[in-house]
Order: sequence, then C-alpha cells, then structure tokens
Amino acid sequence: MNILRKVVETFAHVMPDRDRDELIQRHRFLGQPISRLDGRPKVTGAAHFSAEYPVEGLVHAAIVYSTISKGAIVAIDTSTAQQAPGVLSVITHLNAPQMKVPPPFSVGDSPSSGTTLVKILNTDRISWNGQPVAVVVADTPEQAEHAASLIHPVYAAEPGVNSFEESIPQAKQPKEIMGEAPEVKKGSADVILKDSIHRVDLTFTTPPYNHNAIELHAAIAIWDGNDKLTLYDTSQFTAGTAASIAGVFGLKTENVRVISPFVGGGFGGKGGLWPYTQLCVLASRITGRPVRLTPSRAGVFRIVGGRTPSQQRVAIAAEPSGKFSTFIHEGVTAQSTDNHFPEQFSFPPRHLYAMDSYRIAQKVTEVNRVANTFMRAPGESIGTFAVESAIDALAYELNLDPVELRMRNEPDRDPVSGNEFSSRYLREAYTMGADKFGWKNRPAAVGSQRDGDWLIGQGTATGTYPVYRVVTAARLRINADGTAHVQTSCQEMGMGTETVQTQHAAERLALPMEKVKFEYGDSTLPAASVAGGSSQTISVALAVHEAADNVIKELLSLAQKDSESALAGAKFDDIHAAKEGIFRRDHPHLGQTYVAILKHAGKDFVEAEHKTGAPLETMKYSMHSYAAQFCEVRVHRLSGEVRVSRWVGAFDCGRILNPKTAVSQFRGGIIMGIGMALTEETMFDDRTGRIMNPSLAEYHVPVQADVPHIDIVYTDIADPHTPLGAHGVGEIGITGVAAAIANAIHHATGKRITSLPITLDKLM
Amino acid sequence: MGSNIAGLMDFVLNNRRIQLPQCRPQTTLLEWLRSNGLTGSKEGCAEGECGACTVLLVRPHGTGSKYVPVNSCLLFLPTLAGQEVLTIEALNENKQLAEAQFAMAEAGGSQCGYCTPGFVMSLFAEQYRPGRAGPCDPHSMGGNLCRCTGYRPIRDAALSLGPAPDDSFRGRLSSPAPSMIPVSYTSIEGRLERPGDLAQCTTFLKKYPDAKILAGATDLAVESNLAYKRWPVLMSIDAVAELQVFQDAADHVEIGAGLPLSEIEFLWEHAPLVAREWLPLFASILIRNRATLGGNLGTASPIGDAAPMLLALDAELKLGGANGIRRVKLQDFFLGYRKTQLEPGELIVSIIIPKPFPNQARFYKVAKRRMDDISTVAACFAVNFDADGRIAQARLAYGGVAAVPIRVTEAEQSLLGKRWDELAVKQAQAIIASELKPLSDHRGSSAYRLAMAQTLLKKFWCER
Repeated sequence: MNILRKVVETFAHVMPDRDRDELIQRHRFLGQPISRLDGRPKVTGAAHFSAEYPVEGLVHAAIVYSTISKGAIVAIDTSTAQQAPGVLSVITHLNAPQMKVPPPFSVGDSPSSGTTLVKILNTDRISWNGQPVAVVVADTPEQAEHAASLIHPVYAAEPGVNSFEESIPQAKQPKEIMGEAPEVKKGSADVILKDSIHRVDLTFTTPPYNHNAIELHAAIAIWDGNDKLTLYDTSQFTAGTAASIAGVFGLKTENVRVISPFVGGGFGGKGGLWPYTQLCVLASRITGRPVRLTPSRAGVFRIVGGRTPSQQRVAIAAEPSGKFSTFIHEGVTAQSTDNHFPEQFSFPPRHLYAMDSYRIAQKVTEVNRVANTFMRAPGESIGTFAVESAIDALAYELNLDPVELRMRNEPDRDPVSGNEFSSRYLREAYTMGADKFGWKNRPAAVGSQRDGDWLIGQGTATGTYPVYRVVTAARLRINADGTAHVQTSCQEMGMGTETVQTQHAAERLALPMEKVKFEYGDSTLPAASVAGGSSQTISVALAVHEAADNVIKELLSLAQKDSESALAGAKFDDIHAAKEGIFRRDHPHLGQTYVAILKHAGKDFVEAEHKTGAPLETMKYSMHSYAAQFCEVRVHRLSGEVRVSRWVGAFDCGRILNPKTAVSQFRGGIIMGIGMALTEETMFDDRTGRIMNPSLAEYHVPVQADVPHIDIVYTDIADPHTPLGAHGVGEIGITGVAAAIANAIHHATGKRITSLPITLDKLM
Repeated sequence: MGSNIAGLMDFVLNNRRIQLPQCRPQTTLLEWLRSNGLTGSKEGCAEGECGACTVLLVRPHGTGSKYVPVNSCLLFLPTLAGQEVLTIEALNENKQLAEAQFAMAEAGGSQCGYCTPGFVMSLFAEQYRPGRAGPCDPHSMGGNLCRCTGYRPIRDAALSLGPAPDDSFRGRLSSPAPSMIPVSYTSIEGRLERPGDLAQCTTFLKKYPDAKILAGATDLAVESNLAYKRWPVLMSIDAVAELQVFQDAADHVEIGAGLPLSEIEFLWEHAPLVAREWLPLFASILIRNRATLGGNLGTASPIGDAAPMLLALDAELKLGGANGIRRVKLQDFFLGYRKTQLEPGELIVSIIIPKPFPNQARFYKVAKRRMDDISTVAACFAVNFDADGRIAQARLAYGGVAAVPIRVTEAEQSLLGKRWDELAVKQAQAIIASELKPLSDHRGSSAYRLAMAQTLLKKFWCER
C-alpha cells in the first residue's frame, strides 16, 4: 500500500460521517415498484441504440483481424480491396496517421477508458489473434465486409503464449490489485493447515467468459471540421470515452461529444474503449464522412475482451466447532501482454469470514490474447465459486450444515482491515432465504433424493460484492413552471437508472415524477463515472442530492429577499422541500412553492452543478452487499444433464429503491451465474490463440428453458453510510451462484466438480 | 401483386406497398429495414440465434391468415416478393400500444431494451395465433434471447395476456394471406428464381445445375451473413406446391420437403411421441417457422437433427429431377461428409415415413444447452417386438458421431430375437463402441460422444 493511500485512509477514519439523509425514511416514490420510464420507447422499437441514429451520408467500415497471436506483419497487399466496389479507403499501419495510446482505465479526476497499450494500426507488431490490422471504408456495410475479406496480410509468426495453463509457472505477483495489496497474511497459515485434523485443500479452475450483451458493439463517428467530433458509441462510460478519444486524436475533450443514452446490455463489456471505436473515428477522419462501424458477433469476440480464466487454490482448516483456524486463498489469473488487469478474485475472503490466520494472495500471468476486462462482478463471481465451494466441502468434512458453518464464522469486524461494517445483515438474509427455500427439510446426506433417473440435491453459497461510490457530477435546475431538470452523463443499460433517479429527484424536491426530467447519456453533460462496479445509482444519487441542496439554498435566499415571505428568517436546517416548494419544518403550512419563489424573483430558473467528493467512507467502513443463494438441481443419472429446478436468492443490499427494477437485476445476475456454472465458456485454440466459438450459437447464454422459478427476497435494511441507504445491485446477483450450483450437484451426486463450466462430461 | 419483372418487385410492409430498389439477392430483410430507418428490428447475431430481429409474415391459415414470427436476418429480400410483413413499428401505429407491448413494459420485461422488440413480436404472434385459448404460452418466445432479465418478467408478461383484442390486426386474419408467387429476380450481383411448380424447378435446375437451392435459408443465410458466401444463382422452392404436400395415409405419412417444421407440427395431428419430442429439440419456434426437412437432409450435415429420427423411422425420400421422380431409402442417401445421392439438377421432393410406427421410438439430443443448440450427439431409437415380446426389428440412429448421420447396424443385429432387457442393452453398447469412431471437437471429445451414444441407448431402455 502506498504512503498517500495510508494518509488518506487515516484521514478517512477521523472524518465525521455524512449527515444521515432523511430520504432514507421516505416512501412516496423511493422504494415503490414503479415501471421503468424507458419502457415505452423500448417496447415500440423507438429507442435508438448507438448504430441506429439517422445520419446523412453515412458510410461503413469493416475490420480485418489478425490470424496469428504473435509476430509481425511482413506485407499487407490492399490493392484488390482498394478496387472492390464501393470502397472509399483502406487503412493499415502503413498509411494510418500516428495516434496516441489512451491511458489505462481510470475513474478518477482525469477519466480514461483505455483497454490496451497496443498501438492499434500504428505498429506492425501483433499481440493477439484478432488484433485489427486494417480497416476498410465503403459505401455499404456489405461492400466494406467484402473488401475486408480480400485482405490477407503476410505474417512472420512467432510462438505466442497462447495457453493460460502453460503460462501459469511464469505467473508474477502484481504490485497492486485495484489499489489493494496483492497479498495479505496473518499467522502461519501453512503450518496451521498442516497440523489441522479438519481441513480441505482444493484447486479450482474457471474458463474465460464473454459478456455477450445482445446489442453488438457499434459506433457512428462524425467529424465536424478539423477539431470537433460527435460520436455515438455504445458505452458505459461517456466521459471516459470522450477523454480517451480526445487524447488519441489530439482533440480538446470538450470538442468530443459522446452520446450513449441507451446501451443494449453492457455487463462490463462496454466500459472500456475498444478498438472499433478508435477505428471508426479514424475512418471518419480520413474519409471526411460520417462512418458507422458495427463488428459482427465474432468481431466483438476478437476485439472486446472478456473475463480472465483463473486457477485458484482454497485451503481451510477448522476446529471441530467449525471455527476457521486458517484460510488460504491463492491463485493466478491471466491478462494480456499489453494491459494491466489482475482480476480481484481474492477479494471475497478478505471481508467474509472471521479468521485467526490467513494468507490471501494472487498472481497474474501474461498471454497473447485480447485484453481481459471487467465482467459482471469481476473478482467476486469467480472468487466466490472457489471459496464457497471449499466451505461447502469443509461442512461435509465437519459434518455440519453448510449454512450453520458459515454462521459460525460471521465476523464482528472486517477480518483483514479491522474496519467496522457499515451495514451487514448476511445472517438475516440467510434466515429469510432458508425459510423461503425450505432449507430445513433438506436431508443432510448426499445422494439421498431421487426422482426416477434424476438425482436431486440442494446447495447454498454466500455472495458478496463491495459498495463502490465514484466521484460524479450532476446539474439540477428548477424552472419557473415548477418542473425540474436533472442532468448527468451517466448511462441506462437497463438497470433502471432513469426511473430510479427520477424517483429520487421527485422525492428530494417534493415534485410529482412527471415534473422531473432526467437527462443522461451525453458526455457534454456534467461528468458521471463509469456505469460499472454497481456504483452508478448511489454515485449519481449523492451528486443529485448535493446539487439539490444547493438549489434549495439559493431558492431560500431568493425567497428571503422578500421580507414578507413565509420563509423569512428561516435557516437551511429549518426548512425542507415539500409540496412542490420550500416549507418550514416546524410550521409545515408556512412556505412557498418553487413557482411562487421564481415568479416573485422574476427568474426563469435556478440551477446548481455539483461534483461529489472522494468516497472516503469506503475507507473508514467495510462496505459490502451480501447474498445467500439457495438452489435445487436435478442431475440425470445416466446422461449427466444438470437442470436447475428451483432458486431462492436472499439479498442484503441496503435499501431497495425500486423493487421492480432491482429484483430484475438480481434475477438477471443469477441467470448469468447459471450460464457461468453450466454452459458458458469462451474456448481458445491453444495452438493459435484463436477463439473457437465466437457466436451466440456456440457460446451458450441461458435460454428461457434453462431458467427455473427464481424467488427473490431481501432485507431492505438501509445502510446509514450510503446515499439513500442504498447499495448498487447490478453485480451481487451473480456472486455465489456457480458455487451454489456446484454444491447442489455435490449434494445430489457426491461429485465435487471444481472446474467450470460443469458440463455433462464432468459428471459421467 | 408482386411484380416479377427482372429487378423490380414489391411487397406489403406494415400495411403499405413497398417497391424495392435493386439489391443484392442475398440482402437480408433485416439489413434493408435497418438501413431504411426501421431500426426497431435489432441485429444481435445475424444467424437466427437471438431473435432480436423477429418480424411477422402474414401466411395462409385455412381460408384466412396467421402471423408467423421469423428471424428477419435469415430472409433474403427478393423472397418477400408479393408477401406481407409486419415489423415492430406497425404495432402501435395509432399511437396506442399493442397489448403485448403494454404487458412487456408493465411487467418490466424490457430491461436494456435491445432484445425487447423481438420478444414483443413473438408474443404478439402468439396472442393472435388462431385457435389459441387461455394465457399466452411463454415458450412461444423460446427463440428469443435475453441477457438481462432472467426471463421472469417476460414470462409474466406472456401469462398476463388473454385473447387477442378485437382490432384491425385480428381483423386482418379473417382475409386470405398473399400466395407465394413465382419470382424471377436478377440484379448485377446475382439472380434469385422462385419457380411456381416442380416442372419449372427441374427445368431451371437443368439449365443452371449449379444453382443453390434455397428452402428456409436457416443455414444458407448464415453462410451468407457470416462467411460472406455468394451464390450467382439461387433457386427458392417456396412456391412449389409439390414440395408442400402433407398426407397422413393408412400405411405411410408423406411430408413435403419444403414444408416448414411448424407446419408439419400443425398438420400432423397424429404424430407419434418421437416426432412430438423431436420438434422442440430441433430448434426454436423462429427457426421451425422457416426450416424444412428437405433443407436439413439436403445439407447432409452430420449434426442435422432430422436424419436420426427419419433413419429410425425407416424413411424414404422422393427425389425429383429432369428424369422424373425416384425413391431412395434415407439410409442409402448419405454418401460421405456433406455428400448425398442427389444428382446435379435433382432435389428432395418429399419424405415418406412408413406406418405402422415402431412399438417404441424415442429421440434424444445431447447438447451443451437444453434448447436452441447444435447437437453434440443426437440419437433416435426404434424397436418392434414380436408376439413373444422379443425384439423383431431395431433401428439405432445417430447424428454427431460420424461424417454422416448413421445407423449402427451391427448393434441393431445383436438385439434381434432377444428380450428387451439390460443384458441386451449391454451387449449392444459394447458393439456400438466398436462400430463408432466419433471425432473430437469443441462440442465434445470422441470419448464423450461414444459414451453418450452408449448411454442414450440405456436411457431408451430405461424409459421403455
């Protein structure tokens, strides 16, 4: 840990908490199952996604992808492609102008969304199989694709590191993992493990996965003169994309406008700047025409990274009571040769269990593959598979109920940092979930339930995901007609952003929801951070809260210019927003509406823009969401088919702001976890480093028939240290899912499967 | 209607007649819609997997019509000549949401919203399906993928919908659908011919023996969209009445090679269990609304799912060419990897399944995903017993374990005259191991495929 961080942490611990937000108790809009406001444009097909904006004179680009994983381009003949019908331009490393490499991904004060240090089209070097080596611009998409198919570069191939397994011996410990130490330890974990009677020591593997949002990545780039750019891009991070693209092409950030209100599913895959965006902008700059670039599904697999593979060891020793005496979690993930993202799989045990001693450490290895990136619950999704499978194995070793074993190791404080928990009701979640599921009726013995040829088992696992808040700016305006506008550059990927933030602003300003307009998805609006890490809801909420306070303060002082005002003499703490205006707390009938104040003051509007401070509370407290996942599986005795037949997810995620949208997030996370556990896997050919199944036909996301009845329950207990008492809910749903399934399969069959996905062959 | 002057054609799109400009014959409806401002139909895969591009065709149903949801990414534009199509944009033309749209929005069935129009179109077609009663069946949306919601709110939306309202969409169904007119479409980039009968077909094929035969295009359009394959001459069989026959006779069933699978499902009232369980496993509804038996057999894919069932049912094929019709046993039809007995200029006319059906017959498909997936191993087994209860006939057919769909004849022989018991199964399993040498690929290893081939036989016996 560096010194600066140490200083900030010390400061964070002595800093007073933010005042408790009174909206935590309000229920007029917050906490209500309000249907999403963007529902209508989406069910009618009217909502525009990035490739769908009508632009005059649009031309189209297509990418040529390398077919080797490492080496150099020796020759690239583009003459046939140049002469193909409709072709306007063919760009390769030989004729592309110099571009800057965007700095790596950062959500800080200078946002950036770089994903790789490879100099796309500015080098003859190849770093992964699928790296863009040329881009063709033509009148129609088909002509561009056709011309691209005519380009066959000559390579001098070199042996690449194509296999993750073979690269493991070269793994190194990175300097840090998302600002945390790569290794934390206490006591002599190995000695305690060796001397312990009750222990498990298992090695787990997880494969690469891809996000596979149904919307393909796509961009439309429009150069305006020499120094202005409009970019429609399917991005979870408009501010980062704008800053990065400006840097790549030497433009001023304010001259790059990135528009991305609706994102057709992201799951992390649209958080970074991937090469198609840069190439689309390049093509527009060179041809002087508006250009659209939509890679095919296979193209997306080649140039947009997914989740790293991992190999993880979990070894736990316990006393006969079940209390953990030591806990080891260590392992390796992969990153590409040109990025830095050691996925934080070792985070879950740092915060989940009371441990007397531990060693938690992770390494990373470099492979010639497309840069890995965040995918829903980076770290925790694969980390909980290993940790929660091992704990289940330990429960059998100790002859203890798996829920009981977990409860016996509930910590009072964060086991590694020693910080107080901001809000932890995992025990309550387990109680709710177990009741709903009927866990007490589960026979303890493995292989004891059968229905014909189907073996039945029930499993459970804990899920966890941190509470992240990121610096976010918002502008809030109250107009003379009593309506409000709230603006920030954030995204609607389907989480319910527009709906929940409108609920919030209406509640905050005591306005009906119809009078609040929430505007988003445009980098020229005040900068929000990435819609990732389950951080957007509370990050935007705090910015809106603080901007609203400033607007109310100004309205109060405007009102008080009139000495006759019912608000005369009132301090900010004496008043609050009520009945579409400002009213005294002690005399609720005394006050003025916004309309009255602005009319009297002769103003069209009052507005404030506000940027939130750094999330110091996350250094002072251990802040996490929790899940207790329960499932039932049926495993066919002869064929090894696995069917998930029942699911209960019990969540502790602070206060739920909109049950309708939140529950859908939980369920969506769970089914992505079912895919991760049973069917999904990105397969690399270790000879060539090429992805073998780059399609929705061969990469199996769950279909309707794969999905059981999923019941969701939640504690709904507000976290006093987060905006609105809420936590983000985008990632928590997937965590613990794969382990719950593996544990249920073990309960059904007696087989402990430690490698994902759990395909039929592993059960034969 | 549906002018077939070279290079010109029209069709009805969202209640308006559209004159199409010159295009490549392999331009898909989806490409055309999206590049002409109708972006409600989405592209997620361009291969009929995700259903985000679902549109409705108005097709004949008795004397009236029905809405048939299909993947617009798999429809070549010229094949729409004279046809009638609805896209998502048509559903709320009077500014009022269709019930399927309202239900999806209220249930929270739309999350990121990208797959939503596709689900809405499938659900709309289900609600207006003639003869349907009760709540809408969520599995009518089985060909649509959603990565966000976990499907529950989408299912809830379906279950909340009752009978179709009495509106203009329902009114449309009482008048006839457009008929499938002949087409002769040429453009500088190729030619698409849709002959009106079998004689025209064979004449055309005689003239253009290299013409690519186009049925439901659920394979060809994928090759076109993703591998950029181009055929100078395409011949669609959609207007050939002889390929659309269905006859359930006393001693056989004859199924036209060009009949979409969902039509077979509808027409074959007394289909045996094996056919009924085979249909949903074959592919999603959106694919079944286009895919044909002739196409599935004609491509001779070793992993096509039609062949194992038809082999187990001892089907025969009628092949038509310039020299008339000839009949070939399906088991003799496949010659090698993607090679068949079809002579140049010949096409599959119909499939004949003898009756009575076997005493016991079942279809099994092992794939990585339960639905909407390509087989790792497909198997179909059929046995007949004599008066004594001994096995009189056995046909054990597989896909995915050899270069062609195959029967394990030695294992079949081993069963004859035996009691249908575990010992017989074990002996047959041992022989299967010597008869089959499956390949390893990313869908499964050789050992796994072999193990599955053996285990499925036991499953068949267990489920006797």
